[in-house]
Amino acid sequence: MIKTEKILHLKSSRGRKVRVVREHYLREHIPCFSALCQGDCANEGKILSEDLTHYVVPDAGVVRDFLEVLEFRELRGVVFTQTACQAVQHSRGRRQYNRLRSLLKDPRHECVLFCNEFQQYAYCPREKGEAQDKWQTRCVYHAAVWYFDHLAGLKPVVMITEDAAAVGEYSSLNAGVYVISTQDYLQSFWPDLQAARELHGSISQALQERESEGQERQYTEHLPLEVLEAGIKSGRYVQGTLNVNKHRAQLEAFVRVEGSTNKCTELNSDVLVCGGKLRNRAVHGDVVVVELLPKGDWRGRNTALTEGEAEDRTGEEPQSLPMPTGRVVGILQRNWRDYVVTFPLWEEVQSQSHGSQRILVTPWDYRLPRIRISTQQAETLQGHRAIVRLDSWESTSLYPNGHFVRVLGRAGELETEVHTILTENSIHVAPFSEAQLREMPVNSAESPWQVEAEQAEVRRDLRESHLVFSIDPKGCEDVDDTLSVRRLPGAELLELGVHIADVTHFISEGSLTDLEARARSTTYYLADRRYDMLPAVLSADLCSLLGGVDRYAMSVLWQLDARSLSVQKVWFGRTLIRSSYQLHYELAQSLLNGDQGAEPLELSQLDPAEKGRRLEELREALRLLTHVARLLRAGRDEGGALELEGVEVRAQVDADGNISALVPRQPLEVHETVAECMIYANHWVARKIQESFPHQALLRHHPAPRQEFFSQLVDSAKALGFSIDTRSNKVLADSLDQAMDPKDPLVNRLLRMMATQAMSNALYFSTGAYPVDQYEHYGLALDRYTHFTSPIRRYADVIVHRLLTAAIQKEKGVELKEPPANNKELEALAHHINDKNRAAQQAQKQSTELFQCLYFKDKDPHSDERCVANAVVYAVRANGLLVFIPQYGVKGAVYLKNREGQVVSVKQDGSCEWQSGSLQRHSDRISTTTAAGTHTFCLFQHITVRISVQSSRCHGDRLWLEAISSRPHRAPTNQSEGAGQGAGHGRAELVQEVVRWAEEASQKEAEGRAAAPKLSREEREFRQTRAPNLYTLLQEVQELALADVPSCQSTAPSVEPPACTASG
Amino acid sequence: MAGLELLSDQGYRLDGRKPSELRKVQARMGVFAQADGSAYIEQGNTKALAVVYGPHEVRGSRSKTLHDRAVINCQYSMATFSTAERKRRPHGDRKSSEMSLHLKQTFEAAVLTQLYPRSQIDIYVKILQSDGGNYSACVNAATLAVIDAGIPMRDYVCACSAGFVEDTPLADLCHAEESGGGTSLALALLPRSGQIALLQMDARLHQDHLDPLIEAAMTACKGLSDVLDSVVRQHLQEVSVLTRD
Repeated sequence: MIKTEKILHLKSSRGRKVRVVREHYLREHIPCFSALCQGDCANEGKILSEDLTHYVVPDAGVVRDFLEVLEFRELRGVVFTQTACQAVQHSRGRRQYNRLRSLLKDPRHECVLFCNEFQQYAYCPREKGEAQDKWQTRCVYHAAVWYFDHLAGLKPVVMITEDAAAVGEYSSLNAGVYVISTQDYLQSFWPDLQAARELHGSISQALQERESEGQERQYTEHLPLEVLEAGIKSGRYVQGTLNVNKHRAQLEAFVRVEGSTNKCTELNSDVLVCGGKLRNRAVHGDVVVVELLPKGDWRGRNTALTEGEAEDRTGEEPQSLPMPTGRVVGILQRNWRDYVVTFPLWEEVQSQSHGSQRILVTPWDYRLPRIRISTQQAETLQGHRAIVRLDSWESTSLYPNGHFVRVLGRAGELETEVHTILTENSIHVAPFSEAQLREMPVNSAESPWQVEAEQAEVRRDLRESHLVFSIDPKGCEDVDDTLSVRRLPGAELLELGVHIADVTHFISEGSLTDLEARARSTTYYLADRRYDMLPAVLSADLCSLLGGVDRYAMSVLWQLDARSLSVQKVWFGRTLIRSSYQLHYELAQSLLNGDQGAEPLELSQLDPAEKGRRLEELREALRLLTHVARLLRAGRDEGGALELEGVEVRAQVDADGNISALVPRQPLEVHETVAECMIYANHWVARKIQESFPHQALLRHHPAPRQEFFSQLVDSAKALGFSIDTRSNKVLADSLDQAMDPKDPLVNRLLRMMATQAMSNALYFSTGAYPVDQYEHYGLALDRYTHFTSPIRRYADVIVHRLLTAAIQKEKGVELKEPPANNKELEALAHHINDKNRAAQQAQKQSTELFQCLYFKDKDPHSDERCVANAVVYAVRANGLLVFIPQYGVKGAVYLKNREGQVVSVKQDGSCEWQSGSLQRHSDRISTTTAAGTHTFCLFQHITVRISVQSSRCHGDRLWLEAISSRPHRAPTNQSEGAGQGAGHGRAELVQEVVRWAEEASQKEAEGRAAAPKLSREEREFRQTRAPNLYTLLQEVQELALADVPSCQSTAPSVEPPACTASG
Repeated sequence: MAGLELLSDQGYRLDGRKPSELRKVQARMGVFAQADGSAYIEQGNTKALAVVYGPHEVRGSRSKTLHDRAVINCQYSMATFSTAERKRRPHGDRKSSEMSLHLKQTFEAAVLTQLYPRSQIDIYVKILQSDGGNYSACVNAATLAVIDAGIPMRDYVCACSAGFVEDTPLADLCHAEESGGGTSLALALLPRSGQIALLQMDARLHQDHLDPLIEAAMTACKGLSDVLDSVVRQHLQEVSVLTRD
């Protein structure tokens, strides 16, 4: 090693310039990470392959400004230099640097880091008076030359730079090292990569524009970081996450104060930030620092017309008590993601900008300000939706600057809208890459997949000894759970078995498929399609526990006492099974009921005697299973498990479309049986992994809800004369059971819905991160719970499978190959999975809303009979009602007062019309008084509403409800009978119809390309299960994972015009 | 910019070293003629000068005299120009007194003081340039100076600092690494016996990590002792060549 010195000029804490001398050691051997290495470099990890045409070395400036372009996976063979990385770290901050680091770690992306500054021959010290960027360019060039020489000239090296002078200076110095500009590089080497070129163009244009920016200051400057940190410590400032009010995006934002860091204890509510100036360039989601204004300047929330939707949860009186108000003084962390925007129409652009190529685009999300981007394609892209990224927001600029990344399509088209939803929820579902698919085992007609001999040896073989069967919804292809039950000979023992697809056998940790599955974390179900977490060869074939074929499984086997069902012995392990019957719920139930003629498909070929014997065997197993499940359920009820399913399923379905298509005519007992067995398996696995790995097991907990959240439920129930006791999960379950109105079954449904909303979501966590008393699951009344039974569609289950395998090995005394992830990593992973699950639910909900809007869009609300529906009032707000429409499963707001100040008056026959008058709100009813008289709307009253669509170009369309009669649309008895079914069928029909329209439209469009739409239809036909199986549905509902309060708010349209159009 | 990246993903430290590598060490003995022993050491950019007087009669108050062994008196100081920003007071502040005390403890453990009852040994150390690891540079310089003075010791005393970043122990911290906010441990070792003369750590560290950290510091100390040993041997050779003529 050679010691040299580096002289830096740094700023001291007092702001003086200080000369600092740092040592700098150089060495001869620095790994080059190339497969062509001629010296013997210690190359480990990611290596650039040989089959590339060239290597590309980006300059510091390129990495700093155009990292996004380099992130394209198609660009292979990128050598990042240390110089460039450090430039990013210094000038762009931690976030950007971490992005570069994760890019370097990502095995899917072929790029490496070469530590050129530590290489003896590649390093060049900075000369006196040399500008920093000149020196960086020189360093990178020397690194490129070294790289070329190191590989003995086997591979040409291209250095790309934005510095035109550097191109001139260096390009002719060395034969094999080319220096060209980024634009030329993309054009000549990657002519096919249109997207990268466009992205490059848009970024460079944005950069240019920024330079020529006006100097007039629009906002106050942010304070430096040290001042902010000191201020937070001393309690002068408050730190929190900025949440913009969706319905008053221009005016109101709240800062959710993070409790632990905040010393100022009297501040227990959010901090209000009024208006754009005080918000000072913060964007929704940023971590900001606010300074409280003096008490005299405090203001209340705006409680005018849209009040009702803004704070549904608190259920406050509509008064505006002044609350802590502040202004943003600094931003700690920008949380910018990709945003979907809509380009304005060309006429608007021309009137708004004067010859410049900058245009203002409107984000899809109401909560964001308009974004200024510069592009030359404004004319061709008018009315299109596109993805943009934010770059900066200077204090001199009224709007944030961004650049355009990719076009999604024309606004209003189905594909565009679906992709909008995905992008807005940060869901990336590119098709599986070839490298990933290459990792998959093959199972085709020519080379069928077979059980490997060594696996057969180590696994317990249950193929002969156990009768294994699965019960799933009809037509399900991704069977991840199967069951078995039998009486053990001799002793009074039962053996219950749950066998789960052994996904981890096929996906080794850290493989490309594993990384992809981890990134997705879950299978995404949208209203008309789904995006699988695993490639189809696994999810629909090799991992799916189909009937009649040998499959690997992960099993839990309990030996239970036949009478008391106390557990005598539990066995966990890998097994080999062959499912004998692939039943569906209806069939299983009719077998159980002893219906004649019900027989599984598998038996149809056999002769009658054999068939009879086998049938009886299966029936006996089902009976036994039901018996066991009943007892297990009873045991859990003792503990206070919330009985929310049965009724709740149908109500919950409203939030997410495709599930509703599954809702059966009546809930069958067999659903509950399967669900119970799965919960039991999850529970025991949770106990097992928590015992083996007390600090690093992945469990799922559901915290007990805060009592004040139940106030809406209690008050509503009181209005009907029921009393709800919410002190514990047991009494809550009991009192919900009693709150049953014999005349109106919807009442109970709505009450349960409110109970669900009061609860928080169940979440994954790592056991090391929480104290033991917070492990419990409130909804299921279990002390430990995890997810184990659906590894095909949930990544959490995959982790749990790995943990269980490790636990079994540990028990056997086998040395673990690699220890399971530690608490910190696991907690980070749990957060990631929780986030992704939330995004999946959100996307599912939004796609359902989209389909609802598309369904109603071209129906004339005044003539079409389907647009008139029965609705039930479930909450009363200052200016209207929140109603639930059972027929379509839609929740929304009905306004009783319009913008002109008129209120709804009700005539003798019940029909409604607008008249001037006044409104008066009570806790459980709202009265309208007009010249014609007074009418009162009560909670749980049935009314008739008309559904129409409120269109919006920049945002999603919304449903608009209008009261047309205070009487029920049809007789309630009639209605309730068909309620569940109606919802189910109505929804399925709705989705199918919309899909058909979209297809027809595209067919017309693509007359020349005849094959395309057909293909897509085929694809649809051969899709696997259209939706998750019902067990999972039950389970999710039980876990109250959907208890998301905003879900009922956001369906409500806003009376206010969309905020963005209001702003000039 | 909150915090530098002390250890890159490729396993390099800020200055290009690997976690277990020491900085470059250069040393010279017998730099001053008028002192009994003297030495100069450079550990990277940390430069220290040590001077030893004694053993001689106890000066000042007689009450300090010990009847069974020698008194060791240490004084540590830093040159005003040793840091990036000029220091006001070269010695006598809290930090220097503490450092003097640590040095005293270290050398009381290493020097065979019982051979010189009722006498005193003075060790003066000055940091000329400070770039992290001041304590270890002082100890190493003083060791050489004591050897130069011909005072018998049990063994070389070698000192080295070690830090802990991202689950990896780093040997011989430089200033940027020390001020980076991580844990830093100073260890003085008698390498041949493996006995620890002094161990000092102020920051918090998980108990599980202590052993690897001490292990790393000990390895570094042993490496240093090899360097010091070769310096001593070379010095002896030079001196003996001179005296032979």
